[in-house]
Amino acid sequence: MLFMNPESPPSLDLQLITLLDRVALADEVALRELYDLTSSKLYGVAVRVVTNREWAEDVLQEAFLNIWRIAGDYKASLSPPMAWMALVVRSRGVDFLRRRNSDRADAVQELDDVISDTVAGNSPNPMDTTQASEQAKALHACLSKLDNKQREVVSLAYMRDLSHAELAEQLKLPLGTVKTWIRRGLEQLRGCMSRFA
Amino acid sequence: MNLMKNASLMEQLAASYALGTLRGGARRRFEALARNNATLRAAALLWQSRMSSVAELQPQIAPSAAVWKRIENLVNADKQAAAMKAARAQPAKAPAVGWWASLGVWRGATAAGALTAVVAVVTGMGASNRVDQLSAQVAQLSGKLAATPEIQYVAVLADDKSSASMLVTFDPKSSKLVLKRVGGFKEQADKSLQLWALPPGAGPKSLGVLGSDAVVRLTAADRDVREVPTLAISLEPKGGVPAGSGPSGPVLFKGALIETAP
Repeated sequence: MLFMNPESPPSLDLQLITLLDRVALADEVALRELYDLTSSKLYGVAVRVVTNREWAEDVLQEAFLNIWRIAGDYKASLSPPMAWMALVVRSRGVDFLRRRNSDRADAVQELDDVISDTVAGNSPNPMDTTQASEQAKALHACLSKLDNKQREVVSLAYMRDLSHAELAEQLKLPLGTVKTWIRRGLEQLRGCMSRFA
Repeated sequence: MNLMKNASLMEQLAASYALGTLRGGARRRFEALARNNATLRAAALLWQSRMSSVAELQPQIAPSAAVWKRIENLVNADKQAAAMKAARAQPAKAPAVGWWASLGVWRGATAAGALTAVVAVVTGMGASNRVDQLSAQVAQLSGKLAATPEIQYVAVLADDKSSASMLVTFDPKSSKLVLKRVGGFKEQADKSLQLWALPPGAGPKSLGVLGSDAVVRLTAADRDVREVPTLAISLEPKGGVPAGSGPSGPVLFKGALIETAP
């Protein structure tokens, strides 16, 4: 199930790979097509990382300029193309936060409040599998089996590149709790993902 | 416990490594082990790939249309800067065609009189060795220009048919913007041209109103010009729009602002 069905129309992955190849040759039309296909997903990533829509637009802009410049690097990656682009967005977002947080302590505070509300509410953080690669669908199936809290800390740790201590501070939770949630989350994920080879 | 004999511990560490929560000394030890152990390395790579799909699962949100516009401007500026750089890389090598387009000549337009001198020499020469002479002149001119590094930004503002109408240079040291009219455009007596910076994510910022001379000098703060991808010129009532308001008339010329300093 991890392999593409040969009878299906050209998959989104293949379309994106072809477009990235063309962008690597400085094809602006291809960049526009790539943007049209991916900007909503990638803006979602940016909003998740920086939490503020205006900042997320800056991040998305920087990320696309970056993709324009380094599209040729995708070839060396074995990740699905959307995952690769999402990582570019994530890196820009994480950089943006570090720059901003070093400027303004109150901005961090706002952010912490938003995040601890998300976790405290124990509401399932929505995941979205439209446009997701086969690998992402497998991960989604496994993440869905975690407790909401475990899933949220794992997802936040990854999306915002946070350590246990940073997570504990931002979520206003004891360090031991965060460590336990992450460890259990990863254990379950490990068992589940092994079924997808 | 021997890590290599404990498959589930290896997997757990590889997953924490990929998640990013394995930090400090533990991370360094893991990396050292993975460099020497293919199984551990494979597990780490597999988990990095799996984790990268966390980003793929984020809900979609449509960004505002302005974002693409900003990206497009930056990409255009990037392309032009790359073209300029390529042209500068060989200023004296291909004088017959390429040199008009090269940045050196544009910069020369502000290096008082240098360009005029070349043109005078060229027109005064016999046709036979014109290219050789020109080539030598260009080399000499390029040398002179290399010694005037204060022009750090240049823009060629063009109309909607892409004909160049205004050459803009900016020297951040003296905060001087110099505009040179290079097309035949002449505004009516009751109109003025106004220059705008179009910063990403913000409204147009006026950089000043142009007089009717062929060369116009304006003063602009470094921060108003630096990191602005695009400049534009609009047609406004005589004297320009009131301070604080945006352009009211049509945009006649615009172009990417390119940083020339390496």
